[in-house]
Amino acid sequence: MPGAPGGGPGPGPSPVDRWTLVVFSFIMATALGQMNFTGDQVLRVLAKNEKQLSVLRDLDGLKPQKVDFWRSPAKPSLPVDMRVPFSELKDIKAYLESHGLAYSIMIKDIQVLLDKEREAMAKSRRLERSTSSFSYSSYHTLEEIYNWMDNFVTEYSDIVSKIQIGHSFENRSILVLKFSTGGSQRRAIWIDTGIHSREWITHATGIWTAKKIVSDYGKDRTLTNILNAMDIFMEIVTNPDGFAFTHSMNRLWRKNKSTRPGMFCIGVDLNRNWKSGFGGNGSNNNPCSETYRGPSPQSEPEVAAIVNFITTHGNVKALISIHSYSQMLMYPYGHSLEPVPNQEELYQLAKDAVKALYEVHGIEYIYGSISATLYVASGITVDWAYDSGIKYAFTFELRDTGRYGFLLPASQIVPTAQETWLALRTIMEHTLQHPY
Amino acid sequence: ARSKPHFFNFRAGSPSALRVLAAVLEGRATVNPKKGCQVDLVFTTDHYNPEVGEEHLGKCSARVFFRNQKPRPAINVTCTRLIEKNKRQEEDYLLYKHMKQLKTPLDVTSIPDSHGHIDPSLKPIWDLAFLGSSYVMWEKTTQFLHYYMAQISSVNQWKTNDDTIDFDYTVLLHEFSTQEIIPCRIHLGWYPGKPLKVKYHCQELQTPEEASGTEEGSAVAPTELNNF
Repeated sequence: MPGAPGGGPGPGPSPVDRWTLVVFSFIMATALGQMNFTGDQVLRVLAKNEKQLSVLRDLDGLKPQKVDFWRSPAKPSLPVDMRVPFSELKDIKAYLESHGLAYSIMIKDIQVLLDKEREAMAKSRRLERSTSSFSYSSYHTLEEIYNWMDNFVTEYSDIVSKIQIGHSFENRSILVLKFSTGGSQRRAIWIDTGIHSREWITHATGIWTAKKIVSDYGKDRTLTNILNAMDIFMEIVTNPDGFAFTHSMNRLWRKNKSTRPGMFCIGVDLNRNWKSGFGGNGSNNNPCSETYRGPSPQSEPEVAAIVNFITTHGNVKALISIHSYSQMLMYPYGHSLEPVPNQEELYQLAKDAVKALYEVHGIEYIYGSISATLYVASGITVDWAYDSGIKYAFTFELRDTGRYGFLLPASQIVPTAQETWLALRTIMEHTLQHPY
Repeated sequence: ARSKPHFFNFRAGSPSALRVLAAVLEGRATVNPKKGCQVDLVFTTDHYNPEVGEEHLGKCSARVFFRNQKPRPAINVTCTRLIEKNKRQEEDYLLYKHMKQLKTPLDVTSIPDSHGHIDPSLKPIWDLAFLGSSYVMWEKTTQFLHYYMAQISSVNQWKTNDDTIDFDYTVLLHEFSTQEIIPCRIHLGWYPGKPLKVKYHCQELQTPEEASGTEEGSAVAPTELNNF
């Protein structure tokens, strides 16, 4: 059913020649990976019980194959997603309806989606030749962000460099920006954004912040003092596979994209895969859960890469992991209600940071330990950081408080980044002034 | 506290008078291991649509009761200083007229889109969907589970049968403590001034709680609820 693009060159060729051309184009298109999905839909089916589930499984066994499962029939409590080729739509829908299976159309025309995305990406590729034409008040794709990083590092090469710290499960590069004015293995601050891929405001804030740092160096006294003594590491796309997936198929995807043989569901919650308190309450050992912790601590390449980098570096003094949403600033522990030894200091610092943030646009954050403020969560980044000796470990939950949630309008990117910067700077300054 | 606006919005039944939680002024929770959990609150609410001028318009006091961790809390809430009834009815009617003029079938997938944008012409659809989702979210709320409406993932049907707006859509709810995204198919009927009719089916990702659902929820079914 894939249509062959690129037809003949107009009137002239005989029918035989035209057919050869069409077949040749089809082969080329398929070879180049440009399958055509015009009219194909993705249906989400809600099976109420095992019987309905087996009705769905029967579809899988059909030869020739009539549907392509993106999310296979597993349990009645889980949605089943399937791509249905255009030619099979009528039959499949009739089949579902006759068995009383409710479904919704998740994607009305896959080709339209793919075309739009390709078009948008091509458009921004033409535009983005320098970081000054890059829009800091829009959301971007992975490719645009990586492209921006290269431009950024070139433009500000005296302060910024790019380091690859590993590969994701689907083999994408994991990249970190290093801001440094010299020295050797200086005391450092680590910032990560995007560990949960659907939290788009975090990557956008990271990008804006990177630009802010280079712009303010030499102009803002506090930032200049910080960078003259310390290095800053920033990992903007901490979960590149998940992030790519939020653009291509599922905007609300949270986890990474790892799979293991025999598992029905994909992905590990990267913020439950760390070694501190691993396996406790507030994480799940069900692979289909959004808070699936993974088979073992640091099993995920995205987490292992950071652990290796920070451990090897040996001189990271503050770690800030940025999430959305809820408007909170928190410190360890997440895995228990037990207060950390310097809890009083962290409380005061959070209080100051939140006040600085508030002064920008009047946005109110609440603050405290993770377990007391948000919920009990085990195997999280900041708990690991703290237990590894990083005394200043914080996690942000950026805007908003649920009205838009993960789908925060792009118009709020810059205000969010502006206010968050003040909080970050407060924490970094404190770290600078309290060496340990 | 966040479940109160869900319940309040549903009971008010007015898409132009939706409220959101602004701030909690006072709160007290009493937990009885045998019976359940009661929460008394005083809080302020903002108008849901930020374009409408006044801030912190409403002040409310409420008592919420969760019977033995069951969903559908019993809620007693009173609010002061909200939009005056006539104005609200007038705005509802304008909204209704606008909705009736929308071309069907609606060629729309996600609201908002991936970038958080809602086309102004589609805003009434979002508001009405939010109203219906409020009912669903209230019914599912327990002392441990609370919900937000993340996105309308599809509009399946939008038509008017004898003046009532008949709206069939799929919404994605975000449950906070588990971080799960729950798709719910909702079918609602709305006519300004009349009680909202809601029917729904959600995909449950946890093992269903023993009493989630109708009679065994914590609350006695309110009389204005009509399922069809």
